[in-house]
Amino acid sequence: MALSRIPRIGIGGPVGSGKTMLIEQLVPILKNEGYNVGIISNDVVSREDADRMRKNLATERGLMPEDLVIGIATGGCPHTAVREDPSINISVVEEMEAKHPNLDLIIIESGGDNITTTFSPALADYFIYIIDVSGGDKYPRKRGLGIETSDLLVINKIDIASFIGADLSVMERDAKIVRNDKPYVFVNSKTGQGVKKVTEQIIKDVLFDAPPKSVAIN
Amino acid sequence: MHTDSDKISSISIEDLSFLQLSDSFFPTGLYTTSNGLELLFYNKNRKLSYDEISDFIRAYIVQQIGPTDCCVIGNAYNSIQKKDFTSLVDLDNMYYFMRLVDETRSASTRSGIQFLRCVSTFSSEDEFLTFYSKSIKDGLAKGVFPVSYALGCNSMNLTKDRSGLMLLYGFVVSVVGAALRLGILQHYEGQMMINELKPVILSTVLKNIEQPADSMWQFIPQLDIIQMHHEQMDSKMFIT
Repeated sequence: MALSRIPRIGIGGPVGSGKTMLIEQLVPILKNEGYNVGIISNDVVSREDADRMRKNLATERGLMPEDLVIGIATGGCPHTAVREDPSINISVVEEMEAKHPNLDLIIIESGGDNITTTFSPALADYFIYIIDVSGGDKYPRKRGLGIETSDLLVINKIDIASFIGADLSVMERDAKIVRNDKPYVFVNSKTGQGVKKVTEQIIKDVLFDAPPKSVAIN
Repeated sequence: MHTDSDKISSISIEDLSFLQLSDSFFPTGLYTTSNGLELLFYNKNRKLSYDEISDFIRAYIVQQIGPTDCCVIGNAYNSIQKKDFTSLVDLDNMYYFMRLVDETRSASTRSGIQFLRCVSTFSSEDEFLTFYSKSIKDGLAKGVFPVSYALGCNSMNLTKDRSGLMLLYGFVVSVVGAALRLGILQHYEGQMMINELKPVILSTVLKNIEQPADSMWQFIPQLDIIQMHHEQMDSKMFIT
């Protein structure tokens, strides 16, 4: 069992919304700031996302040890695994905490799911919900627990908005209304546009502007 | 003729605890496992039949869960009765090292530790739960599911027989649930299968719950191999 709790971020969103790619953009920025991150990736039918992140972030770029990217199969119940019964995720997080007590942050990626996804507070301290513009500019207006209650709403793939007739100003207006002024960020995870803002939000709201543990220890 | 007060006196908080701990809503993570059924689903060129799925579950119950998990539960209760704390750790280790498949071993300890922690939130004064949690923390015990389950059930005043029934019933529901999610059973068939397996659950508990720990055994080599293959699958919905 773990000795101390490392801050945990849950990232949820529909299939293909860009959860994995957002993490692949976030980790290098956080690492550049000195923060060490572990990743637990829940996948509905494979470990492809975990394997991809391990290869990209650990094996090829050396931003983290390979054992800091763990894939979990969820028995076809992605929301159950992060909300109703997060037992297995909590166990894996605690194993990671025990093995790597100097981590600054653990990111838990949910399997792709619907707009009612939320994370159990026992599992995640901060919840990022990501949608993309390909579902149309009505998406924020349609609400759903993820869009309404997440700590940070990320709207991805803004580069294709014009091709599918999605008006970003409508999405922004509706996001403000349904979220009661809680933060939202527009990003293009493919190029990294806007991701710095997500990182800043994490450092401020999750890490409370604390320096990386490696710096604090030294 | 029974009066209302008779009826009321015949039920108890323990009955509700029985329902609470055997409910699939209770957080144990069992829904993440198919016990290798997923591999059979992908390897067969035809749909698995109702009877094949039922035989699959029956084999697990009679040849593995009964003579190991049920036996562990019975012996954990005996240890509690004798206040023999050391033998709880021995049982834990014996069970852990009998699990041949890596993923099932880690799934058992993960579920066991989380189950223990959840029950401990409302049975915080139980000395056996406290001892076992400390043994896990100190690295003496692994936290395997049947030991945690027995201690949790005991802390809620449930008998060993009921504890065995609940564990086996939970296993059956988890595999039937996996079959439903794989689309190889429909929901009425699932309930029919659970209903048909009730006598097997009952007889397996009665046969194994009083067996001594040193008579613990398991023999399902074909299913062990299936699980090991499933463990290696690139794309899968379930932990093995």
